[in-house]
Amino acid sequence: MDKLSINEIPIRTANNFGINSIEIENINIPENFGYFSNIDINIESIKDKVNFSNQNYRKLTYGLGEVLETQNKEKCNCPLKVDVSSILNKEIKIDFLFNQSNRNLAENIEIIANEKTKSTIVLTYQSDDEINYYHNGVIRVLAKEKTEVNVIILNFMGSRANNFLSIENELQDNSKVTYTIIDFGGKVSCTNFFSNVLGEESITEINTIYLGKDKKLFDLNYIAELSGKKSASKMEVQGALMDSSVKHFKGTINFKKGCKKAFGTENESCMLLSEKAKSISLPILLCSEEEVEGNHSTSSGKVGDKELFYIRSRGFDLMEAKKLLVRAKFNSIIENIKNDVLKEMIENEINKTFAIN
Amino acid sequence: MKKTNVEEINRNIYDIKNIDDYDYKIQKGLTKEIVEEMSNQKKDPDWMREIRLKALEIYNQLELPTWGPNLSELNMNEIATYVRPKGKMVSSWDDVPEDIKNTFDKLGIPEAEKTSLAGVGAQYDSEVVYHSIKEDLIKQGVIYTDMETAVKEYPEIVKEHFMKCVPISDHKFVALHAAVWSGGSFVYVPKGVKLDIPLQSYFRLNSPESGQFEHTLIIVDEGASLHFIEGCSAPKYNKVNLHAGCVELYVKDNSYLRYSTIENWSKNMLNLNTKKAIVGKNAEIDWVSGSFGSKISMLYPMSILNGENAKTEFTGISFAGNGQNLDNGFKVIHNAPNTSSVVNSKSISKNGGKCTFRSLVRVNENAKKSKCSISCESLMLDDISVSDTIPVNDVRTDEVEFSHEAKIGKISDKAIFYLMSRGLSEEDAKAMIVRGFAYPISKELPVEYAVEMNNLINLELEGAIG
Repeated sequence: MDKLSINEIPIRTANNFGINSIEIENINIPENFGYFSNIDINIESIKDKVNFSNQNYRKLTYGLGEVLETQNKEKCNCPLKVDVSSILNKEIKIDFLFNQSNRNLAENIEIIANEKTKSTIVLTYQSDDEINYYHNGVIRVLAKEKTEVNVIILNFMGSRANNFLSIENELQDNSKVTYTIIDFGGKVSCTNFFSNVLGEESITEINTIYLGKDKKLFDLNYIAELSGKKSASKMEVQGALMDSSVKHFKGTINFKKGCKKAFGTENESCMLLSEKAKSISLPILLCSEEEVEGNHSTSSGKVGDKELFYIRSRGFDLMEAKKLLVRAKFNSIIENIKNDVLKEMIENEINKTFAIN
Repeated sequence: MKKTNVEEINRNIYDIKNIDDYDYKIQKGLTKEIVEEMSNQKKDPDWMREIRLKALEIYNQLELPTWGPNLSELNMNEIATYVRPKGKMVSSWDDVPEDIKNTFDKLGIPEAEKTSLAGVGAQYDSEVVYHSIKEDLIKQGVIYTDMETAVKEYPEIVKEHFMKCVPISDHKFVALHAAVWSGGSFVYVPKGVKLDIPLQSYFRLNSPESGQFEHTLIIVDEGASLHFIEGCSAPKYNKVNLHAGCVELYVKDNSYLRYSTIENWSKNMLNLNTKKAIVGKNAEIDWVSGSFGSKISMLYPMSILNGENAKTEFTGISFAGNGQNLDNGFKVIHNAPNTSSVVNSKSISKNGGKCTFRSLVRVNENAKKSKCSISCESLMLDDISVSDTIPVNDVRTDEVEFSHEAKIGKISDKAIFYLMSRGLSEEDAKAMIVRGFAYPISKELPVEYAVEMNNLINLELEGAIG
């Protein structure tokens, strides 16, 4: 495909600002998917390939756009349903490993958290080699009353992969849905995240770290619509860009009529590790309700010279010093992950990224 | 529980209508023939006529914006683009036609001229009816005149700068402006000349179903300094009026320009104005903007920081009441090393009004060691209003300090409680908080405008906390 225009923001701004949607040029959109078999799921019972049907397909409210949504609907090669009916002490872990036989993935994951349940679902996307793998996934979460859902997504795909992900959450009363996204892989990584916070005192939270190198492009479009009274949305995005990598962060918190005493905050910070890196951010606040509190902050800049000098005076080389500062910046999000194995995986990926440079 | 009521702007003075009496009014619509006729009426030189016709072609090619407020009610076939008032431009208020003079008297322009201005221009509908400048400024080489005179008397300067800072193809309403512009001010401040007191142009649109398309061109030469004030108002009619002015500012090396605006158009006005400044080395432009009127406003002043160490500050407030959709903001391009920008925007939405803050900050690859700080705050005074913040921050280099923060909220109950515990009534407490909210902007205005702004935000409070 010559040009793919995706990930439109919920409210448009001037066309010449260049951020209403993203246009990706010369992208290879595969036609044939086949069955994606290289999945490792630690709880066998959650596999449910029978229930998925095009006829039951519910259109995404936002999503990445018509082309990718249609592809996921029609070519889905990995439907999964996670039905949580009790408090789970163990994480549900689903690993997707791309290889020569499993090059294209269009998974459709539905997570239903029934009343008064707690669950953590870990999704990892990895490839060991540098092939132009393709991922176009959809994740939906329904958080019923008094539930707590944690979703951790690790994108460690190779540097030639294309990664597209649409997420849609519905939150009922007193529910909490927290996402932690570690977005390191692929040459293009686009995420559309939407939380429909309908319930009273329900909370949607997304914490993301991204790390760009070479000519990597990130396009992150996060949307939270708050309708429930005393509901809340928190977006925390921390990233670092090396080489000629580019990041677009578009975060929207929409205080809809009726969400009295709602609270929303988005904080985005980008460390620029190269003079050619580009950071574009669009933190949107939309407000149709009086009794709310909303705020956002964004910042961009290079690594502080003083901090670098201090670390180097302790015997570290420049790249190692930069890595330490980036790692420190990411720390607050990484520390939310309780699983030490996952933390180690993240640590290794950071080391790998800085080692190559 | 009763709601606190914050009264909308008292528009008595601004809504005074004169009879729609004019010397010439062009037929409604926008065709090549109408533009040619307008050019004939204005006795344009050939080069200006060509610009108008070229602009009309571009206007017809461009689409309406696909973003922002809905402009579908604008029908150019219902707008007269040129209304020449009675009388010619004079430099004595006594020679201005009586009804027009009375209007400006009530707006306080002649009085302000006596006390605190170095020069005044007053436009009524499509033409400037009064222009004056203090003698000592003329002696220093300062030029302050209407645009028509500038086109005829300083054609080379105008040709070099007209529609160059704001290209005709920038957007549809710039093209419209270039096709039918009329009136406005031309200012040239020579090298090293610093004006201690401001110049002011006031734009008044009286004629119903018409448009005002004034062009303001200001050149502040190297090492010079100027404060320019622009005021606008119109009485309310039932049908749509259109304002599509254009402001082009050239702030040369080591110079300073402060551009202050109080817009108080009537609530049938579509205010689709364009303002842009090109800022040279070590130069600075400060924008101070109060936006109160208009049915729809789309206004995003822009600073292009082309010179090393160039600076810009934007301080703005919008107040949207019933039926108003004020989509305002700011744009800045950092295009040289060590440039800096500071943006401080506030908005108040009330009684179903909608305020949107829309901005663009772009730090280009060559703008090393630049700094940018943006702050916007929105106050919601009831639950039927809307307040949106849509800021784009585009950073293309690493050696930059960039920060942006925004807040939306209601008046804090804690703050009211605190003030009431100090003996203030609830009404006074709320009034104080809203005035305090607006204070960072009002303190940047000349004193008489700050007083006007406080009057505009006339708080009348009753009842208990909403």
